[in-house]
Amino acid sequence: MNAVLRVTSILALLAVLTACVPPTPIAREAEAPPATPTPAVEVVTLQIWDIWTAETDSQVIETLHQEFEAAHPGVKINRVVKAFEDMKATAKLALSSPDGPDVAQINQGEPDMGALVKAGLLVNLTPLAEQYGWFEKISPGIVARNSFTADGKVFGEGNLYGMPPTAELVGVYYRKDIFAELGLSIPKTFAEFEAILETLKGAGHVPITFGNLDGWPAVHTYGEIQNVLLGAEGRQYLDDLIYARGNVGWDVPVNVAAAAKLQEWVKQGYFTPGFEGISYDDSWSLFNNGQGAMMLTGSWMSSTFAAGPYGDKMGFFLVPPETEGGRKLSIGGTSTAYAIRVGSPHVDLAAQYIDWMMSDRAAELWLQNKTVPVQPVDPALVAPGTLFADLVSAWNFMNETDAVGHYLDWATPTFYDTITAALQELLALRITPEEFVQKLQADYAAFLEEKASR
Amino acid sequence: MLRVSRIRTRQPDIGQRSWTAYLYILPSLFVYAVFVLWPVLDTLRLSFYEWDGVSTPRLIGLSNYLRLLEDQVFHIALRNNLLFIAFYTLFPISFALFLTALMTRRRFRGLSFFRAGLFVPYVMSMVVVGVVWRWIYNPAFGPLNQLLQAIGLGSWARPWLGDFNLALPAVGVVGTWVQYGFCMVLFIAGVQRIDETLYDAAKIDGANELQQFWHVTLPGLYSEISIALVTTLITALKIFDLVFVTTRGGPGNQTMVVSLWLYNNAFQINRVGYAAAIAVVLTILILLISYVVLTMRLRAGREEA
Repeated sequence: MNAVLRVTSILALLAVLTACVPPTPIAREAEAPPATPTPAVEVVTLQIWDIWTAETDSQVIETLHQEFEAAHPGVKINRVVKAFEDMKATAKLALSSPDGPDVAQINQGEPDMGALVKAGLLVNLTPLAEQYGWFEKISPGIVARNSFTADGKVFGEGNLYGMPPTAELVGVYYRKDIFAELGLSIPKTFAEFEAILETLKGAGHVPITFGNLDGWPAVHTYGEIQNVLLGAEGRQYLDDLIYARGNVGWDVPVNVAAAAKLQEWVKQGYFTPGFEGISYDDSWSLFNNGQGAMMLTGSWMSSTFAAGPYGDKMGFFLVPPETEGGRKLSIGGTSTAYAIRVGSPHVDLAAQYIDWMMSDRAAELWLQNKTVPVQPVDPALVAPGTLFADLVSAWNFMNETDAVGHYLDWATPTFYDTITAALQELLALRITPEEFVQKLQADYAAFLEEKASR
Repeated sequence: MLRVSRIRTRQPDIGQRSWTAYLYILPSLFVYAVFVLWPVLDTLRLSFYEWDGVSTPRLIGLSNYLRLLEDQVFHIALRNNLLFIAFYTLFPISFALFLTALMTRRRFRGLSFFRAGLFVPYVMSMVVVGVVWRWIYNPAFGPLNQLLQAIGLGSWARPWLGDFNLALPAVGVVGTWVQYGFCMVLFIAGVQRIDETLYDAAKIDGANELQQFWHVTLPGLYSEISIALVTTLITALKIFDLVFVTTRGGPGNQTMVVSLWLYNNAFQINRVGYAAAIAVVLTILILLISYVVLTMRLRAGREEA
């Protein structure tokens, strides 16, 4: 998801590594509460592997680490920063080694977290979560996607294995100045949203800046339309679908209808002309430079857009439901999650570390960094009227109403390839909405069959 | 003190194996074995297993290979690799022959400048080439569509890399652009090896430029052409970086190639055993094609002699 992040990751990693030189012990006693009354000067090193490669993110972590060390005399944090892909590739080996990291940031989903649970490498966090009150900080939908049964076979229920510190949400960035000029306001229903598309098109604007050369941006566009059409039934249906339980499939009319709606938008010319040949990075760059009235994408773009030439003219809203006030999911998720290695000699300390990374202080730092923290946020902490304020209130709404939806490419291990290829065909009008859904169903059915045969 | 007899006993063992020689290559053989031979053999072994990269591998015999037979994406990828041969092998070699004929039989100002300039694409990193061409093809601000619009051919403008019919040729053209410089340098060097008297004789016999090229230059370049053939064929079969940077196999699977499908299986969806089977098939394919081309070359070489 963090396409931008990945591009700069190498540079950022270098920057982080050079910044990682052990900080000189500045007057720590001043703020250190007497956390451990025993004067034993036993030095404990806590190994942390994380993926905060971006410099600003890394600074938040460094600050939190310094404060944690200050509050726990004798504890030293040894931090290793890995790029997202790098972590994916090395986590398995590192966690099975006896001197591996105590805490590592693990990607959710069957191929990553699921495989590690299956191999018995991750600590069950449920008792710790109850002890520290973590379940009050994340909504049931987020708990589910960090949960597996103890054998790692069933996703979405059972024990908690990871705690994600920050949030991701997908919605619509819009240009307030263009909306004002045309007398438009934030839509409350999907019909109003489509009317806005029509008005913008008529006024000569590109309604939705879009680039699908990379394939995955359309997964969000399709997913949002699907969420609207599913309405209140989305929670049950998509949970069952993504966690492969309850015998549901892709071949239901609502998925066909969503695909038809997407094709209708293509035919109406609501997307950037030539979107098939425009990469995601080029598309956000176009929007950031004033080409287009809206862009449907994720919160990971917010700090770039806020700092861009139209930063003070941008707002954000969630794709509205079919009927005003109706319930629906919105695509969203979290950062990858902190997990504890089985065999770590410092499980209690590791739990305290995770608790600190989920604390109010951490949330405050993330907000300063223009990143939405996962737990409920006091809106007073954010400057009103800004793009970031819109994002925070949208996330609060999703968290309160348990409306955090799914990334559809999680459906099966092969689904990313299947859905991106199928969506490119759908958007090129080479296949019908029915054929599109059949392609997805074929992949899904094969996955269920394989799963059952194991 | 050295005993003379020990030195005396050492005889020049022509025709015999000199085990001391093996001692000298041992260090590099060790490195080669650890980093090349062992991984190759391990890949072969893994191709008989089902393995996700973490849990215990499960022996499944030839199932991975049987599955390959039914894998539609693999078939598309294989077909695309064959199509890429046109862009990576046929076009560059023909184009390079044309340029060679142009550059070697006529002397003109700035010749070495052109030679060097035309070679540049081959020296550049494929990733850089891919990024640059992605800009060139960009429908929103790329120079290609802008140029077409400027000269009144705006209706020809396309989302090149995203167009189902044009994506493969668009990526292929970049391959041609990269490969021909290498072939050209090879051929120019080869032409200088051809005896000038052959051209003189041909001229006396009344051969025109085209006939000289056909009957003197082309046969004279036989071994260069076969080298170009082998290297460009292998490049076409293992093409990865350019596709990865420009289209990632899209739109749909229109530019999917075998090595990208291998990568997706191994590193995106954790089907390591299956990916190993793809790697084995790809290796066998490359060995087979190289073998055919090289034996053709040897046979031709023998006939020549």
